[in-house]
This record gives sequence, C-alpha cells and structure tokens, in this order.
Amino acid sequence: MKTTRIRSEHLSTLMWGSASIGSFLVIWYVLTQTTRLGTLIPGPDIVLISLFKGIFGQVGRHSILMHAVYSLGRVLAGFIIGSALGVTVGLIMGWSRVAEAIMAPLYRIIRPIPPIAWIPISIIWFGLGESAKIFLIFLASFANVTLNAWSGARNVDRQLIGAAKMLGANQRQIFFSIVLPSSVPQIFAGLQVAMSSSWSTVLAAEMVRSSEGLGWMIVTGMNNNDIVQILTGIVAIGVVGFLLANIMRNLEAVLCRWNKSGQ
Amino acid sequence: MKVSLKQSQYFWLSAISLGVIILVWHLCTDVFEIKPPDIFPGPTEILETFIEKLYSRRPDGATLLVHLGASLYVTMVGYLLGAVIGIPLGIAMAWNRYVDKIVKPLFDLLRPVPGIAWIPLFILLFGIGTFSKALVIFLGALVACVVNTFTGIRQTKEVHLWVGDIFGATRTQKLFKIAIPTAIPMIFTGLRVALGMSWAALVAAELLASNIGLGYMIQQSRALSRTDIIIVGMISIGIVGAVLDKVLHIIEVRVAKGMNAE
Repeated sequence: MKTTRIRSEHLSTLMWGSASIGSFLVIWYVLTQTTRLGTLIPGPDIVLISLFKGIFGQVGRHSILMHAVYSLGRVLAGFIIGSALGVTVGLIMGWSRVAEAIMAPLYRIIRPIPPIAWIPISIIWFGLGESAKIFLIFLASFANVTLNAWSGARNVDRQLIGAAKMLGANQRQIFFSIVLPSSVPQIFAGLQVAMSSSWSTVLAAEMVRSSEGLGWMIVTGMNNNDIVQILTGIVAIGVVGFLLANIMRNLEAVLCRWNKSGQ
Repeated sequence: MKVSLKQSQYFWLSAISLGVIILVWHLCTDVFEIKPPDIFPGPTEILETFIEKLYSRRPDGATLLVHLGASLYVTMVGYLLGAVIGIPLGIAMAWNRYVDKIVKPLFDLLRPVPGIAWIPLFILLFGIGTFSKALVIFLGALVACVVNTFTGIRQTKEVHLWVGDIFGATRTQKLFKIAIPTAIPMIFTGLRVALGMSWAALVAAELLASNIGLGYMIQQSRALSRTDIIIVGMISIGIVGAVLDKVLHIIEVRVAKGMNAE
C-alpha cells in the first residue's frame, strides 16, 4: 500500500517535472522562432545539436569531452592536495590549542580572500601554465576543508574524551579513535563545499587565461561573438557540476552510513 | 582566574606568530631581496602603496575607495534582488505542492551551473556595464537563497504543525507563526552563503570585463606588473568580504534571538 503511494508520488513528480521543463523549452523555441529574441539567442534545438556534435567533435582544438577532462584534471589535482592539507591543518588546530593560537591568525587573514581574487597574482607567480590553476584550486579547497575539519575536531563530545581517558587511552589513541572519526561528517560537508567552490574557481581561472577547458570554451564564445558555443558550454558545465555534486553526495552516503546527519 | 590567564597567553602566542610571519616576510623581501619586488613585494612597500592608492588615481584611473564603491554597489544591487525574490520563492516552493512541482524542475536545471559561468553570456548580450554583472550576482544569490529557505521550511516539525491545527490555526497562520520562524536560521545561512558567493562572482566578472572595480584594479595591475597594487587589492577584497559577513552575522544574532545553534 505504502510503496504504491510512493511510486505514484514519484510518477507525478516526474510528470510535472517533464511538463515544466518541456514547456520551458517550447516557450524558448517559440520565442526565438517568432520574435526578435531569435536574433539575440539561438533556440534550444540549435544548442542541443551543437552539444551533440561537440561532445566528440571539435570545439577549438578539442572535443567538449576533452575540454571537460582538462578542467576536471585541474580540479582533481588541486582538490586532492588542498583537502589533504586542509584536513591535516584543521584537525591539528582543533586538537591542540597551541597550534591553533599559532596558525589561526594567518588562516583568518587568508580565508576571506576569495580564490578568484588570487588569479592575477598566481599568474605572476606561476606563469600561465597548469601550476597557477592548480594553486587556485588548492586554495579554494584548502580554505573550506580546513574550516570544517577545525570545527569538527573542536566540537568533539568532551564526555567521550573523558571516558577514553578514564579507560587509560593515550593522546594518540584518543586522536585516532575519537577525534578523527567524530570529525568525519563535518569534514565531508567541507569537502562538498570545497568541490563546488573548486569547480567555479577553475572556470574563472580558465576564463581569465587558458587554451583549453570548459571555461576557455565559454570565454572564447564571448570573444568570437558565438552565443551557441557559450550556451553549449554552459550546458556542459551544468552537467559536469551536477555529476560532481552527486558523486560527492553518494561518496558521503556510502562512507558515513553510520551518521544520521549525513542523510 | 587560571583560565583567563591562559587565555591571555594564547592571545600573545597568536600575536607573536603573526609578528614572526611579518618579520620573515620583511626579511625575505626588503632586507635580503630573495625575489625582486615586482614579483614579491615586502610589507613596507604594500603599506606605502595602500596609503598612496587612497588618493592616487594612477595607474588604473581611480582611487581605491572609488573602485571599492563601484564593486560594492553592483554586489548590493544583485544580492538584494536575489534575496528579495529568492526567499519568498523558496518559501512558496516549500509550502505549496504545485509551486514546488512546477518551479523545482526548472530550478534544478539552473542549480548546477555556477554563477560565474553566466558571465560570458551576459557580457555578450548586455555589455560590460552594471546590468550584466548585477544579473550574474542575482542568479548566484537567488540559487543560494532558494535552496536554504526551502530546506529551512521543510525542517518544520510535524508536531508543531499539529499543535497549530489543534489550536485552529489557518494555513497562513501556520506558515507565518510556525514554519517561517523555524526556517529563519537556515534563511540566514543562505543569505551568508549568497553574500560570499556574490562577492567572489563580482570579482570574477570584473577580472573578465570591466572598467572600474577592485577586480578590474588587480587585473590591470597584473598587466603592468604592479604586484604591490594586486596585493593591496586582494587584502581589500578580503577585508570587505569579512566585514560584510560580520554585519550580516550581527543582524542574524539580533533577528534570530536564541533560534540559532551558534
């Protein structure tokens, strides 16, 4: 009884969803065909065709798929370095008040500067190559992950630590079997924010200076007055962003199954 | 007594740490000149540039405060519009099944696209003026406000709504007396997230195409290799972002008296 109700609820959401998106596309199409809007933006049909042509075809020197791979590669490199360092620094600051007092001032100065504002100076420091972009992604993920690991480690249940001490655990055991596991949900929340922040930072970096990637694709569209290429790029960016967010969410659901707030 | 003594010790530790960092920076740049100043300027040079930039229009055509005012103006226009439309939309989506079913799919389509990705499209359609930048910020702020407001309203406890039913509250009363107060902390979270995003998106838009603003200033300085102005600009961007966040936090504490976890 209950499952059929849930299923019909799903079905109605699906129907409303396709009706809503479908009518949006139809209105867009009709407007571009009949009004002056058509001289400004291409219809959805043209964008979709250009997307399918471009996935394995050529936009600039690469296919859209390769552009996405370039962007994702930069995100991955910076994200892994940034979150590894961020988790370490955050946990140390949350665990030791001396370390916190030493490291927190510098972190508090750097954190409010958006990673995008580092673009000009990263070009001066690292040149136009990959290392400048990886540095930016590193900053974007480091800032977010550190903050969450820090507050996660600081907000560990004091009673648990007390209980462990009473049972004779040493500092190292307390850190690895209480502080670290109980910070994991917070760290994952930080990783998710870091991923979406990294994704928009890599686009900005590619828009300012690069020769491939999805950010390059839309900014070249702007410079060549090619709206079809921009819209195709935006759709591709949306698809990749959607996939990244879902991968992070599923990863959390699998790895933090024991944690209720992870749902 | 012992605790407060320790607190002051930690404070001094922080102060010493910051002092050592600035001293090492000063030694590396101004004294030993490990890197030339047009790549890595020292703290004294940055301080001088900062003071000079307060009244000097060179080299990018406006003083620091004029750039700052221009950036703040565009951010506020886009952000306030996004909040004014986004919060009611989020409430409507969470409270009314039909709004939810019709608007949510469109919204889910828009959501995964970072605000920054709209910059080229809007610049091409509407030029590099205030309007296209405000539109980019508006979209980013809208998404953050809607998502958080929606989640906040949906967190309303069934039990509380039942209590409302028992006392004969109408649907409107339940919305304004129960659901919205429940959602206020989440709404403020959305407002803070949106503000940070807006500020970053504006800098990105100004880096790409602009003729005034802090992002424009640092981009121009890169072309001229004026690293000192870049760093002054970055620090200003950071300070303004932090101040905006702080102001919003103060409002949050006032409005959400005791409702917030923090």
